[in-house]
Amino acid sequence: MSENKILFNTGSLDELSEEIGKLTNNEESKLKLGPDNADSGLAKLVLTLVELIRKLIEKQAMRRVDGGSLTEDEIERLGETLMKLELKMEELKKHFNLNDRDLNINLGPLGDLM
Amino acid sequence: MEKIIYSILSVKRNPEKLNALLVGMKGISGSDLCAVSFDEITAVVSDINRTNLIADRSNAIEYAGVIENLAQQFTVLPMRYGSIMESTGSIIKMLERNYHEFQQNLQKVENKREFGLKIFCDSEKLQAELRAKSETHTTTPAKHAPEIKNSVYRDWVNKKLKEHRLEELLLTYVDSVIVKITGYLDRLNAVNKFKKMATATNIIDAVFLLDKERKDALIQAVEILQNQYPGLNFVLTGPWPPYNFVEINIK
Amino acid sequence: MHNNVIDRSKDITILELLDRVLNKGVILSGDIVISVADVDLVYVGVKLMLSSVETMEQLRSGKSVIV
Repeated sequence: MSENKILFNTGSLDELSEEIGKLTNNEESKLKLGPDNADSGLAKLVLTLVELIRKLIEKQAMRRVDGGSLTEDEIERLGETLMKLELKMEELKKHFNLNDRDLNINLGPLGDLM
Repeated sequence: MEKIIYSILSVKRNPEKLNALLVGMKGISGSDLCAVSFDEITAVVSDINRTNLIADRSNAIEYAGVIENLAQQFTVLPMRYGSIMESTGSIIKMLERNYHEFQQNLQKVENKREFGLKIFCDSEKLQAELRAKSETHTTTPAKHAPEIKNSVYRDWVNKKLKEHRLEELLLTYVDSVIVKITGYLDRLNAVNKFKKMATATNIIDAVFLLDKERKDALIQAVEILQNQYPGLNFVLTGPWPPYNFVEINIK
Repeated sequence: MHNNVIDRSKDITILELLDRVLNKGVILSGDIVISVADVDLVYVGVKLMLSSVETMEQLRSGKSVIV
């Protein structure tokens, strides 16, 4: 398999191999649960789901704000709540020593969670 | 003896051609390849010892190489790496159980090859451009300015809103590029699948299935598209066996 | 310089190839049910590899990036 299958490209290939490498190698984003890491493994699983839902809520909230149907008070309260959620999430991530990449579990055929 | 399956194919017209091809090829770790058939459907397999199967990339590449060689002369359904069954007998039963699905899928990909198109961009630059474009249009904040409270929460919302709008802009842009591409592909009668925003810089990750004779027409189309989007980096690869276009749930 | 570009092209070809042969293609599969203490708890309707999840794990760990 030494054949070159690139049929067309005029740009730089350096950045590409890096990017494609990232797409191919999902090792870091895999959930591994075992007796030794049950704590952090579970934290990773739970926080991934929480983060997914938090981001969905945030996205939906921004859609509503953008749509212009919310009052200033509602926006203010939404902002306060979501901002506090975000800060809390940062705290939890730090506490369990997880970064954003850790919270994107690769589900194989289902694709990435986020 | 356990068998590893490389591909499913149909050899109704010329089984001799397949046998001749298999004699000249080797499977993983130099193993001999052979054909296991049920009626018109054939699986190309080799002996494998699951516990001895060294799982490294060179094996995966060898495995894919077998599929590639077969695909150059036959219409194949490529198997995913590591498809192992207990015996020849169980493979024949599997072929029988899934006979119609294999037939249908083989028909779908007959004489076609898969091509991959990945489009990369400098996302920061692109976002800056899109932002500049949008700011000339957006007038809403100014209108409401007097009522807007000046609070840390409102600032936070504004920041998030900006990000949200930028994301939407980027998606709209990506959609417009996809519409352009599908315009060309329709002319080539291609089946396509698009994944948007695979990573921050890989804004489009697409695969196409089209007649193998249309390869040059596809390259030309991509060249034209690249010229229309000088800020993006188009990478076209292929021809591949139709990895992304087999949808079979084997029972 | 010229050779470098050729090497890169080959690398990308191989990465694209691995992405396909490891993640795509016909799967020998079954839906899986996760059981705890013999009680079926979670039904996962995902096409997962039956025979070679371990193989994949090993294949992907560490060794799989060439660039």
